[in-house]
Amino acid sequence: MDALTAHLDELGHGLVTTVQLTVVTTLGALLLGVVVATLRVCPVPLLRSVGMVYVEVLQNLPLLALLVLFVFALPTIGITFPLFTSAAIVIAAYEGAYLAEAIRAGINTVGVGQAEAARAIGLTFSQSLRYVILPQGLRAVIQPMGNICIALLMNTSLAAAVGVVELTQAANNVNLVEAQPIAVFTGAGLAYMLLALVIGRLTGTLERRLAIVR
Amino acid sequence: MSFLHTSFTRRRALTVAATAVTVALAAAGCGDGGSAPTLPGNAGGEKVAQSVFDAAPVASDAEIPAGSTMDMIRKRGYLNVGGSLDAPLLSQQNPVTGQIEGFDADMAKLLAKYIIGKPEVKTVTIGTQTREAMLQAKSVDVIFQTYTITPQRATQVAFAGPYLTSGLAVAVRKDETGIKGVQDLAGKTVIVGANTPAVTALPSAAPGSKQVAFATDPQAVQALLQKRGDAYVQDFTLLASGAKANPGMKVVGEPFTTEAYGIGLNREDAQFKEFVNNWLKKIQADGTWAKVWESTLGSVVEGGTPTPPAIGSVEGS
Repeated sequence: MDALTAHLDELGHGLVTTVQLTVVTTLGALLLGVVVATLRVCPVPLLRSVGMVYVEVLQNLPLLALLVLFVFALPTIGITFPLFTSAAIVIAAYEGAYLAEAIRAGINTVGVGQAEAARAIGLTFSQSLRYVILPQGLRAVIQPMGNICIALLMNTSLAAAVGVVELTQAANNVNLVEAQPIAVFTGAGLAYMLLALVIGRLTGTLERRLAIVR
Repeated sequence: MSFLHTSFTRRRALTVAATAVTVALAAAGCGDGGSAPTLPGNAGGEKVAQSVFDAAPVASDAEIPAGSTMDMIRKRGYLNVGGSLDAPLLSQQNPVTGQIEGFDADMAKLLAKYIIGKPEVKTVTIGTQTREAMLQAKSVDVIFQTYTITPQRATQVAFAGPYLTSGLAVAVRKDETGIKGVQDLAGKTVIVGANTPAVTALPSAAPGSKQVAFATDPQAVQALLQKRGDAYVQDFTLLASGAKANPGMKVVGEPFTTEAYGIGLNREDAQFKEFVNNWLKKIQADGTWAKVWESTLGSVVEGGTPTPPAIGSVEGS
């Protein structure tokens, strides 16, 4: 236990970075997810293909490979982002693909009649999406989106591999001094668990508040 | 929904196209990610000659009592070694032959030869975070992984040796003139290897420096060349081999720490530790140690073969 309490400062900084990374990327991924899901159901074939290629490419590459590519390959063509920004962009883009699929599943739960009725009363495609389809579609998939957010939280630990000192990296550094892997990583694991529980509770509450009674 | 309708054939064609893009990207990733194009083996070093292994000592039956760890290993027929596959000159897998080459890897083979009679090892790649746990759980017999002996670690595991000493040094880009050694690192961004002694040594050796840690040595070298930091602090021998493979980087100043590397063993097994220490003394005395050093680390380090460190000379060993 001493191994943990003697380094609370260092671990605390790591925890804060993990939370920051999670919040920033969740927001980015949600935005991207809605946009990409919209692309995938939109009536223009070209846009539909763009959305699909995005999802297929991002979903089918390991996140670590994407991170390493983004951090080490981009500078060779003259584009260098700070490490935290790089990690945030890549994780948001990656999780955005997963969220897009969840949101698309939500859109598909909305009855065809709803879309037809929306168009019949003169709403444009984007209006029917905004006022009719998405509000119902998103509510149907709050739980899966929450799960993806928890996965996102866990995936932020991969940022350690590209030099971001988040919770996992901080735990690594503490363990290097203390050589107490079981205590140190159990502590870090509990912190991740707590964060995941918070996300879980949050999605549970949201779902109860926003559920549509059909 | 009407606006969701797409023909199935078109969708399938698109999936194929997207898959192709994925595969192409992944392939490109392989090319860029493995950013150490030159094999250190080709950078001047040569493999340890078979004759060294042939001439290496084998323990007498009297040294291996029935029921001991050594006896168990001999009966099993191979030595379970915890190590790395990506440490140039120390323990790196040759992509052509699949063999693991380097100082640590060859020492492990020599120990296997000493116990079993033939250099049969099974190398388990382990992270530096889990070494203590792996030894405590007896998942590996020994760890050869530039395992720095520290008093804290010695409360968890036993160290035979030290079998090699080295130190941390500073590398910079070729065009850098402002940094001539560790004393010039204050206020600079310094790249370090994650979970290496540099992480803990830097705050006292170079106060006011900012650390950025990367998971592997090739990544750290790449990061230095891409200006993600002003300097790279790492083990001297690793830097020397890195500088040989990458003309864009150079080593400045002398090593500023002394790291004594030990062979990690289970802490409960005093008999095995004594056995390994006796083996180390033997191969140091008969010149095997020097031969292995010359054909691995000696290929990049200038100056003659060093004297092997005295067994038990470090706190914790």
